[in-house]
Amino acid sequence: MLWLCIALPQLPLEALRSEETSQPLVVTACEGSARWIVCVNPAAERARLKQDMNYTMALALCPDVQKLERNPAAETAALARLAAWAYQFSSTVILGEVPLDFRQARSSALWLEIGGSLKLFGGFRDFIAALERELALLHYSYQLGIGPTLEGAALLARAGIRVVIPSPTALQLRIRNLPIAHLALAPEIVGALHTAGVRTIGLLLELPRAAVIQRFGVQLGNFLDRLIGTAADPRPVFRLPHHYAARFDFELEVKSTEALLFPLRRMLHEFSGFLRARDTGVQHFTLTFAHRAAAGTKLDIGLSLADRDANRFLALVRERLERLELPAPTIGLGLSADQFAMPAALQADLAQGVLQQSEALAHTIDRIAARLGTQQVHGLRQVADHRPEASWAAAAPQQDARDTVQFPERPLWLLQEPKPLQLSVMPQIVVGPERIEGGWWDTGDLQRDYYIVHLSTGADLWVYRDRGGRGGWYLHGFWS
Amino acid sequence: MNRAETLQHLAWLCRNGRALTAAVVEASGWTELDAVLPGGGWQAGTIVELMPAVTGIGELRLVLPALARITGAGRHVTLIAPPYIPFAPALAQQGVRLDRVLVIQAQQAEDILWAAEQSLRCRSFGAVLAWPATIRDREIRRLQLAAEAGGSTGFLYRSLDAARESSPAALRLKLRRTENSALQIDVLKCRGGRSGMSVKVEAPCSGCA
Repeated sequence: MLWLCIALPQLPLEALRSEETSQPLVVTACEGSARWIVCVNPAAERARLKQDMNYTMALALCPDVQKLERNPAAETAALARLAAWAYQFSSTVILGEVPLDFRQARSSALWLEIGGSLKLFGGFRDFIAALERELALLHYSYQLGIGPTLEGAALLARAGIRVVIPSPTALQLRIRNLPIAHLALAPEIVGALHTAGVRTIGLLLELPRAAVIQRFGVQLGNFLDRLIGTAADPRPVFRLPHHYAARFDFELEVKSTEALLFPLRRMLHEFSGFLRARDTGVQHFTLTFAHRAAAGTKLDIGLSLADRDANRFLALVRERLERLELPAPTIGLGLSADQFAMPAALQADLAQGVLQQSEALAHTIDRIAARLGTQQVHGLRQVADHRPEASWAAAAPQQDARDTVQFPERPLWLLQEPKPLQLSVMPQIVVGPERIEGGWWDTGDLQRDYYIVHLSTGADLWVYRDRGGRGGWYLHGFWS
Repeated sequence: MNRAETLQHLAWLCRNGRALTAAVVEASGWTELDAVLPGGGWQAGTIVELMPAVTGIGELRLVLPALARITGAGRHVTLIAPPYIPFAPALAQQGVRLDRVLVIQAQQAEDILWAAEQSLRCRSFGAVLAWPATIRDREIRRLQLAAEAGGSTGFLYRSLDAARESSPAALRLKLRRTENSALQIDVLKCRGGRSGMSVKVEAPCSGCA
């Protein structure tokens, strides 16, 4: 087994927001009456704020620092989304547990078994390149480590060793001189080891295991065995869900829809990764905007063709968002989909050109419909009805309806509503009358004599004289 | 052509290279008109302005032979912000394949332009017809670039007032009806051809044939 560990040292912060800010920002957690820093952003780091610092001290150093409360549930949700995304690279994904102790909060990770995937991606270099390319789109700070055991790979990731270590023997050699701080042990154990003068991992591994267990507890002994591979490390394997349901909870309220695009971009890329992992696409998915005081806002996104391209998803969502009035600031996002369909582009490479064209057309129609509204984009069809206003109908775009309906010649423009005409001089009649009657069986009862008339301006109009009801002349179309 | 237009034409030539000589042309279907249009018809990748004197003189009928052939070949046609209902039975009578026609309703000027640009860029559309309430030079230039990218012809229906202003469109036609019911087409501007010509096409209105 060869494990790739994706370590996420900034997860407590990045699970709560996905965009960079130039404001110093820290994630804090309370212990007793004291508040401690868990994680800092680059701006806060420049202001000399560090993890494990007391928050009162941080305020003294940097009075305008902003704080977020650590939210382990948000970290778990982020890790779960990431696991679904990672499944496209390996069919064995292991989801690390989010540490409840805030002092270990920076050690969240997930693992991919990659021994089987390397060949599929054309070798190690291409595999890592593909993985990092996709990972960069999600805007997480990450470290990668590749080793023969789960804890070994995690250790290599945290220590920043980007070398493939294939065997336990090589691992022991490589980690000998690393300080024990990289092990992400409980702070009490690290303190006790320091007191005992054990500063490197090599020294710790050389100690008789029985003595280690006696002095530092059985957990450390187990951990070391799993680290170097002398004990098995069974953990539940992540299973790809049948339905997709992802959440992203923010600690702060997001007021502008523009700011929502950052978390949305990450979620849509993760969603796209999930679709690649399932080797499928979607024609329909739902976004939910959670509000503190109001019911959530749902936004259904439909596509004319099944797709899994995150950028196209984002473009559609963006168009819809610009026209969406959210009742209250957003405190969280949900993305769900339960019906999947193979993207058309992948179904077959027969008639590739034609397919590409229809795909491009579908994307264009989707974009336009997303901005203007689905009702605003439609096709046309004929209806076998003699009443002019009932002889056409809006149709779904590209709906194949080659009805052969025979009418006498009809004008190209029809008015939405016939317009009463005041005729002082009877215009020149070119053709007519054509008597149109019918519709008494439903609401549109009509009796009309239609004429084509020619005006002195040069225009040809389609007019009728109402023989029933109110009488009089009406304009109904133009011979444009 | 004045100096500015010559420069613009040169810039166009630089961008498109030999595309000008090998331009894809869709015959308008009107012999008299094809005789004066460069290449003998509507050029793909250009913007055409049509300025009818009044509604109902055959201004739409003028482009229908081309639309019938484009849809017949399986390509799409879109009508953006038409002033009235494009009457399906009439389009079908003129040989247009209805399943290849798309109607886009838009009210805002910016939405109309945006939809026109999106459609022109998409290679599936052979022709894009739009009825913008207002449009500025800069916006026509954008549509021109979109038409070049997508290889479709953009027909802009504008009011007769627009004829007094200049425009970067490749072809500008003023339309009016003559005494004997023919449609007179005044060529205000014609890139790669002669402007200032007038042609008459007979019986553009089907009803009065």
